Amino acid sequence: MPSQDETHAAEPGSSGSRRLSRRSLLQGAATAGAAGLAVTAMGATQARAATDRPAPGDDDMVKPLPSGPIVLNVRDAKSGDIEVFYGTSQVQLQDKELTARIARALG
Amino acid sequence: MSSHREAPEISKDPVADSTDLYAFVSAGNTVTLIANYIPLQLPAGGPNFYEFGDDVLYQIHIDNDGDGRADISYGFRFHTTVRDPGIFLYNTGPISSLTDKNWNRVQTYDVTVTSHGQTSTLGSNLPCPPCNIGPLSTPTYAGLASAAVNHLSGGTTVFAGQRAEAFFVDLGSIFDLGDLRPFEQLHAPMGTLKSLPGVNATNDLNVHSIAIQVPISALTISGHPTIGVWTTASRQKARIYDADRGEYVTAGPFVQVSRLGNPLVNEVLIPMGEKDLWNSLPPADDKRFAQYVTQPALSGLLNTLYPNSFSHVDALAKAGTPRTDLEAILLTGLPGTVVKGFTNYTGPVLADMLRLNTSIAPTPSGSKTFSTLGLIGGDPAGFPNGRRVTDDVVTIELRALAGYTYQFVDTTYDVDPAADIITDFTSPPAIGSAPTSMFPYLGLPYSGYLEPSGQ
Repeated sequence: MPSQDETHAAEPGSSGSRRLSRRSLLQGAATAGAAGLAVTAMGATQARAATDRPAPGDDDMVKPLPSGPIVLNVRDAKSGDIEVFYGTSQVQLQDKELTARIARALG
Repeated sequence: MSSHREAPEISKDPVADSTDLYAFVSAGNTVTLIANYIPLQLPAGGPNFYEFGDDVLYQIHIDNDGDGRADISYGFRFHTTVRDPGIFLYNTGPISSLTDKNWNRVQTYDVTVTSHGQTSTLGSNLPCPPCNIGPLSTPTYAGLASAAVNHLSGGTTVFAGQRAEAFFVDLGSIFDLGDLRPFEQLHAPMGTLKSLPGVNATNDLNVHSIAIQVPISALTISGHPTIGVWTTASRQKARIYDADRGEYVTAGPFVQVSRLGNPLVNEVLIPMGEKDLWNSLPPADDKRFAQYVTQPALSGLLNTLYPNSFSHVDALAKAGTPRTDLEAILLTGLPGTVVKGFTNYTGPVLADMLRLNTSIAPTPSGSKTFSTLGLIGGDPAGFPNGRRVTDDVVTIELRALAGYTYQFVDTTYDVDPAADIITDFTSPPAIGSAPTSMFPYLGLPYSGYLEPSGQ
């Protein structure tokens, strides 16, 4: 399983404790298809519509994406090191499968 | 603008670029804290006049136990509303009040205070005044500015908006190889011109001020009357231009991009390659930069720029003698042993903070002991005991760097005579819209119509 490590939510009073599911990230990343990309609220909806094919046994992980932009920064494609920025929070992923899919999307 | 455009990256981001920080004891047992941003504003800067960044987190921090970390942080977030996006004008007629429908682009803000991990809101949707456009658009500007002074609970008063620049400096001479105009005839590369008065590079320019006045008791803890103050601006980590919407979108945690405590520290002491790093760190980490304070490069240059005028401080620099006077002034505060009867020492932690001993009463501006040279002028209520709006911090720090203050930590040191007179002005320049004695203390901003281009 990919690891998730929320680093911090710096802005006082923000609700930065929401976690992203691996599936929702895959949805966003597949649509944007870039290392260092943004999914706006509208874009996220489109992302779900385009890729809403539940993976076997993955239904319990389906959660809505947070509203607002989500930005991914692939720090190291080989190790699967990804930073995900959303709201006033950041999560760190180790997901080689996701970086491989991004690489394929980039051609 | 003691910290304007001081680092390569922040110089490209004026909305988040802190320019000056003031902290002083004010009437009614209060402390006033003023953080200025957005440097060098030409008053006629329309049609999109200056405003705070909606995507910037502005903060003023207070350390009240001497560890260089914030115990209290006031946060300011701004929100811009365009009433009619179908027109290009800032205003469609005279702006006669802060709710006037003629004002098309309105900015409000929220104020929070964070202490010991708990954040509470002090005020929401507080109005900023408009910029000072001119006599047709803002005919009653003083009234607009006054209406934007907000009185909150707990004896707190806040203001955020455009004001007149109060800081004066001959930038053109200082950054032209230190060619101070009053000493032109002594400057090595030049030396052929006559002595000249200084030229105020910030004359008739505006800034954006965030000012907050709070009871002393809200900032200090028992037995520790001295507080350390600094301001920061932070941006979210990710920022991408959304071409479909024609705007930037942001995400992620806020990270610090600008910092200011004592005037001119990052601007003059920190080397180019570390200035933006310095901006990103808290004062508690300043030990890593301490060598640039105790071995200032500028002190070693003075005698080259002005041959034989600064030979004593040059000898200190060449010998590698640590400038413990500068360390005390800028990084720890002055212990009681340095200047008789005065201290603003916060402990051994090396941290660049503006240190204010709140137990020292303000000096009335008309009194004999009032001096714009602060402590070195015999006035303990001025810089480096906090900083007042009228303090001549450029002259004070020039003299300190030239060795004038080293005599306080080594009584055998023979001060260069030039260190007692070095300055960038023969006399302080007149400020057109002068600082006032009323909150928020900086003068009303210069008018775009009446003083369009500074100078």
